[in-house]
Amino acid sequence: MRNALAIARKELGIYFSTPWAYVVFTAMLGISSFFFVNLLATFKEVQGLARVYGWARLPPEYGLFKNLTDGIVVQLWDVIGVITLFVAPFLSMRLFAEEKRNRTFELLMTAPVRPWEIVLGKYLGGVGVIWATLGLTIIFPITLSLFGSSESGTALEWSTVALGFGGLLLWGATCLAVGMFVSALTESQMLAAFLTFAILLPWMLLRGLAQSAEEPWRSIANHLSFSSQLSTLSRGVLDLKALVFFLSVILFSLLLTHRTVEAQRWA
Amino acid sequence: MTAMIEVTGLGKRYRDRVAVENLTFSVPEGEILGFLGPNGAGKSTTMKILTGYLPATSGTVKVAGFDVFEEPYEVKRRIGYLPETPPLYPEMTVRGYLKFVASIKGVRRGQLTTELERVAHATGVSEVLDRLIQNLSKGYRQRVGVAQALLGNPPVLILDEPTEGLDPSQRAEVRQLIKGLAGQHTVILSTHILSEVTMTCERVLILNQGRMVAFDEIRNLAHALGGDQTSLEDIFLKLTAAA
Repeated sequence: MRNALAIARKELGIYFSTPWAYVVFTAMLGISSFFFVNLLATFKEVQGLARVYGWARLPPEYGLFKNLTDGIVVQLWDVIGVITLFVAPFLSMRLFAEEKRNRTFELLMTAPVRPWEIVLGKYLGGVGVIWATLGLTIIFPITLSLFGSSESGTALEWSTVALGFGGLLLWGATCLAVGMFVSALTESQMLAAFLTFAILLPWMLLRGLAQSAEEPWRSIANHLSFSSQLSTLSRGVLDLKALVFFLSVILFSLLLTHRTVEAQRWA
Repeated sequence: MTAMIEVTGLGKRYRDRVAVENLTFSVPEGEILGFLGPNGAGKSTTMKILTGYLPATSGTVKVAGFDVFEEPYEVKRRIGYLPETPPLYPEMTVRGYLKFVASIKGVRRGQLTTELERVAHATGVSEVLDRLIQNLSKGYRQRVGVAQALLGNPPVLILDEPTEGLDPSQRAEVRQLIKGLAGQHTVILSTHILSEVTMTCERVLILNQGRMVAFDEIRNLAHALGGDQTSLEDIFLKLTAAA
């Protein structure tokens, strides 16, 4: 475990000594701020309509704008989930591909470090950065709780917010695990990023893509879709099935990465 | 003397190409063996197999009595390896890099600073410890590569072109350093600079097209190939041209 932690520390150090982490931080904050401001405007507008016409006369889908948690934070978590899908490949792409290109993979593979320690160390380092990226977005609910208000007295339902945020962290860790596996397959970082994106995006959209399919395929696709599983968590529902689903994808990706690293010994 | 490295019938094949064929040799504890051959002769492949980085197609390799294929972890604990391209992280400082390598090589936290100072002093990188590797000259990078191989004081060192990119005075320093390792360390030294081998090693192993064409003391080879005055360069050229 000591080796894994040393590798994780090294990964974190490299992330923060290159512009990548800061580019990703800026992109995440910039794009999510844009959606946050838009959601605030929509929330304000719907609240205004509700004051004039009353909630009963508004379309039912406007109901979620009754409070800041459902009207803004839950919506924002969904948006950040999609942004994560775009930024995670840029964080995971270098994990193994760069080591192979720089010939430093030879150093790791000839040091007394077991393959699982390399995989775990790299994964922890990568997860550290993606969690730091997602961690920045906690500023939005904090802003709402400081300046927002509601009829119940507290601006936000923090348990819902926290569970949704936990779901996002799990989602980030999942994207990174898939990306790390792809990175272990190639020396090209750009190819790793592209392939990761090419895997994550259809997987995310699986539910929508399978709408026209027949049963039981539609149900299976619905169950396997990232968006289906993520939507329950981001709404603050502690869904054990979703937790098991994401943890299984992470574990499976780590095992595949381990096999790929091990395979080097038999190349 | 106990054999620290024992290679028996080693072969490596990449699809249709034979990289190393039926290589058998042993290196006793404390010896510095010159590992020579033209480009593409199979030197780097053999060294990668000895360090456990590449698998062999046939044969066995034992380091300090441990089989590299069956107990790779035990072998890796006992080997310091400088590959042909020094494995460096350009974004790290020399200090950060050496600390990282020391920790994955199992150097205890309490001994980290002492060990780092020891190898930094031995390889002459003390004055650049806080500089980023990407800003170092080729010579310093090479020395940092040698420094990482020395970390943890492993009993076996496998050095692939350790003086590549160094100026003559730096070369002399590294040569002295390697010479000083004899006795306590078993070293396999690969280099194209034959004068260095003459000054550092007593025995050489010469590979050509994946096959061992010589494995003997330099003076014996000289004697057999034209007399005691025959230089290692002449020996090398005769043996690698004849095969």
